[in-house]
Amino acid sequence: MDLLDPLLDPLRSGIDRRALLEVVLLGSICGALGFWVVVERLAYASESLSHGLLPGLVLAALAGAPLLLGAAAGVAVAAAAIAVAARDPRIGPEAATGVVVTGLVGLGALLALSPDSPQRLEELLFGDPLGVSDSDLIAAAVLAGAGGLTLFALHRPLSATAFDAGGAGALGVRPGLVRLALLGLVAAAVAVAVQGLGALLSLALLVAPALAVRRHAPSAGRALVAGAVVGALAGAAGIYLSHHAGTAAGASVAAALCAAAALGAMPWRRPASARSASA
Amino acid sequence: MSAPRVEVDDLAVGYGGAPALTGVSFTAAAGESVCVLGPNGGGKTTLFRALLGELRPLTGTLSVAARPAYLAQTERTRLDFPVNALDVALMGALAGGPWWRPPSRAAREAAEGALERVGLAGRAGVAFGELSGGERRRALLARALVQDSPVLLLDEPLAGVDPASADLLDSVFRSLRDEGRTLLVSTHDVASAARFDAALCLNGRQVAFGAPAEALTRATLEATYGHELIVLRESGAERMITIQHHHEH
Amino acid sequence: MPSPVDLVDLPFLREALFEIVLLSVAGGVVGAWVLLRRLAFYSHAVGSATFPGLVTADATGISPTLLALAVALGYAGGVGAVRAEGERSEAWTALLLVAALATGVILASDVFESGASVDRLLFGTLLGLDASDLWLSGACAVAALAATLAFGRVWAAAGFDPDAAGALGLRTRWADLGLLALVALAAVAAIPAVGALLVSAVFILPAASARLLARSVRGLIGWAVVLALAEGATGLYLAYWLDAPPGPPIAVLGAATYATLAVTAAVSGLRAAAVPA
Repeated sequence: MDLLDPLLDPLRSGIDRRALLEVVLLGSICGALGFWVVVERLAYASESLSHGLLPGLVLAALAGAPLLLGAAAGVAVAAAAIAVAARDPRIGPEAATGVVVTGLVGLGALLALSPDSPQRLEELLFGDPLGVSDSDLIAAAVLAGAGGLTLFALHRPLSATAFDAGGAGALGVRPGLVRLALLGLVAAAVAVAVQGLGALLSLALLVAPALAVRRHAPSAGRALVAGAVVGALAGAAGIYLSHHAGTAAGASVAAALCAAAALGAMPWRRPASARSASA
Repeated sequence: MSAPRVEVDDLAVGYGGAPALTGVSFTAAAGESVCVLGPNGGGKTTLFRALLGELRPLTGTLSVAARPAYLAQTERTRLDFPVNALDVALMGALAGGPWWRPPSRAAREAAEGALERVGLAGRAGVAFGELSGGERRRALLARALVQDSPVLLLDEPLAGVDPASADLLDSVFRSLRDEGRTLLVSTHDVASAARFDAALCLNGRQVAFGAPAEALTRATLEATYGHELIVLRESGAERMITIQHHHEH
Repeated sequence: MPSPVDLVDLPFLREALFEIVLLSVAGGVVGAWVLLRRLAFYSHAVGSATFPGLVTADATGISPTLLALAVALGYAGGVGAVRAEGERSEAWTALLLVAALATGVILASDVFESGASVDRLLFGTLLGLDASDLWLSGACAVAALAATLAFGRVWAAAGFDPDAAGALGLRTRWADLGLLALVALAAVAAIPAVGALLVSAVFILPAASARLLARSVRGLIGWAVVLALAEGATGLYLAYWLDAPPGPPIAVLGAATYATLAVTAAVSGLRAAAVPA
């Protein structure tokens, strides 16, 4: 059994088992959701939401409240502030988002770095998958279940909207509502994912798996499934890397996800079967 | 005579500010095809958007028997989105069935039938972005066919399409009319208007409506197109064509 | 509450204030162009991307400026390379940023075991600014002003209408590359004082506020420099008072200034609309 020991080792430790479960749950749902994030160009919006929720996280940590609560409130405030600021055409949505996010990150850091705050800022910024609590795992499981169902139910309207928003409108689909539902799902995923990977690294869960599979999936449905698989596997690989190399767990998971994206984006030749099917 | 499928009375619509189109009144019954003529910016697409319910009438009324199927003039489809021709046709089923469930077997069969009808049966599995321009137009028509609406709005369906695709599309349009559907087709091609049951001329307002032979006089065409109209004299007979400008977006 | 006079009396604060003054000129001028040319995400990303370079420099004693500049220019090249990917360029820009942050964390916590300095690299410091930081910021301010005099008309024309600028025979390509390089240089200059994560605090925030006040490109640059100076000096004082790094208070002040100006403009706009003409 020596050969399998490197694989089984983390499973024998309670902490690593929980970390694995957390990143597999988050990796699968965020990996699937990421397809729509990339296709609908929401990567910058997702980054902004995950950075902008920092004050919420810090306040929850200072008050001893559940971090999820702080993250959810932080996401809501950040989204509302960005939506208001982005309405000014003189500034443009990109710079307006930058103004809001920079201010919020500064506020979060100010709260966390004042001398009488507990030293938890790095954990909030970069995550600590090894420290997940039962409630974090439950939140991740609920997100994976409810998010998966929502993605399944919304699949056809999302496809029709992304393919041709005008044509979808003529079919009775309301593209505005569909995109709003997608943003809501992204916000929920960000709020839960920061428990595992922190405000700065959770974006990797949403973007990397989708980029890894984007060139290879012939249909949106397969891209979602493949993204979920890649997200779960790369997340688990990151935990193993951290276990064996002794590296920071959150950063290792993010690095494994980024490596998966880089691998998937290499100019592999398309498999012969895909070619003949389309001929 | 059955009740009209499309009934428009003294309609004015616009995009905020001054109305883009005023004084439109016409009807179209089952099995009728109406040719909508007018210059660029004359209000053809605006009329279609009003019939689709995307623009609210400023004045007047309009009623359409069912949500119309729509073939848009300018393609705003994402060519890099991973769908094949069959997936595109299947999207038409969104208009009828529940959106949260995977498409039914009946919808699949309808989509396959629609692809066959537009001559794409052998190309069902090809990525949309890899189809030719004419094939893409036909796949989008298949989507409209799957929607199975009694009213179809076709916005310059033959503009910029290869001749083979144009012939095929044209024959599908004729068979749709023979099935008793109502077709509104916008076009720049004045010569083809004679083949329709009625012609509607728009230039910011309604210039004329009626059977092509009566409605399409030289005076109405001049009022419709202004300086875009060119009159050719060929061996004594007059032939009128228009200068075409295609929208590039 | 410490006396504001400390800002000029205490040597380390005086140096920090001098650094802030130089950065305000560089950040205000470059920030105005960042805003006009819609490079906000790029300038934020190029700052954050330097993080692994800073960690390495911090631990090995190599000049942080040189390493950060190398990483920033490498990142700019990477962004340029993925630009061609269309839909995915934004996603790749974001992913490159996450990859840089993750690499920096692993380097800091596991390779060099210099975890304590992470906060300082991300959010800036009052202490430990040295002469080379001041020289870089000064050079950057001079370069920003000189480049604005040389290329300002081209940048403005290209930002207003890129096609027409090409038709006018303007060499927009080199001017644009120069702007990207200037942004990267200014971001690196800003990092020691405000931190890799908050370089936007001296670029985007003052310029965005200035946009609400100014009606011309010249006015935009002027207001951006003035606001950057005011926010920077006040933020520095707050950082000294609260014993925090300077980046966060400067960022909070910048966002608060913007919010105040935007709300004032909206309220006066409403009032003007309510008064019958």
